[in-house]
Amino acid sequence: MRFEDVELGDELPVEHPDTSLPKIEQWCEAADQHFARFVDHEAAKAEGLPGALVPGIMSQGFLLAMIHRWAPGCTVHKIDTVFRGPLVIETELTITGAVTDTDDETRMAEIDLTIATEEGRTGVIGTALVSFAG
Amino acid sequence: MILDLHTHSIKSDDGRAKVENYCKWIRKKELPLDGFVLTEHRQFDATSDYRHLEDEYGLVILKASEVETDYGHVLVFGVNDDLVNSFDFAKVDNPLPMVLEAADRCGAFAAPCHPGRKNVGLFAHYENKGAVDGVHTVEVLNGGSIPGEDELSVEQAGQRGYAGFGGSDSHIVSRIGYCATDFDADIADIDDLVGALRTGNFRAVTYREQES
Repeated sequence: MRFEDVELGDELPVEHPDTSLPKIEQWCEAADQHFARFVDHEAAKAEGLPGALVPGIMSQGFLLAMIHRWAPGCTVHKIDTVFRGPLVIETELTITGAVTDTDDETRMAEIDLTIATEEGRTGVIGTALVSFAG
Repeated sequence: MILDLHTHSIKSDDGRAKVENYCKWIRKKELPLDGFVLTEHRQFDATSDYRHLEDEYGLVILKASEVETDYGHVLVFGVNDDLVNSFDFAKVDNPLPMVLEAADRCGAFAAPCHPGRKNVGLFAHYENKGAVDGVHTVEVLNGGSIPGEDELSVEQAGQRGYAGFGGSDSHIVSRIGYCATDFDADIADIDDLVGALRTGNFRAVTYREQES
């Protein structure tokens, strides 16, 4: 993907990240995030949550991974996320992205990002500023 | 004339959309919008001037507010100095009857938004606390609704004789125009909008891809 290939309005391929318990446990181990609310539904519900939650920085990782799969070799200069609602593990999440601006001088693109729950509620919104290889 | 009556820009704490990028998106995607209304959370943005964008992109860009009450969120159109001084826009528990009365008294127009939202919408509060006199119009189509919420809004609004409008509730650029309002009248400024809302001559419309 080169800057010349990117247009305002382009949509990134939709993704459904792996939120299975083993994957979440693996990530928590790697990130040293040892909290029951991420891996134990009952413990999370005892805290008033709807179920065990996808860690916030893991969801940001999902978004970054989507951008890099869409544009291998790109550089993400900034990612800004807003957490609007819980994302529960072991559910199907839907990640979307869209190019909302391009700058010919800086050769960067602005991208909208969302993560939606199974029921359709948008749990995370965000934007990213990206430049491209080549 | 079709306006998205519920949008947020980077002026809102959870908004990530630049106003010019909304304009570019509308034109690039050829959305059937003639303009949009910025309804920033818990404030009225009196200083921003978007007339140059209106001219450049041929869109109407108006400013309003989304305030918070004990019966959920409320959009207020036609905000002026009198209204800003009538109650604290930053509070999250303004009494709904007070907001409705203040809007009427100051020549503005107040209407609850996403009333069908679970637990926090107007109709959920009605179930718990009873209805409020003075509500006449609600946002029946909201771009952030999940299946069932707008249906509830339409049904309840119909039963109660409320007029219904639509808005995307966009916080990022690519969500603008998911829902909007089709007016019979031409609207060029905020006074036109308040006047058109008072007539009731408008319809909520949706352009979400799966529903178009």
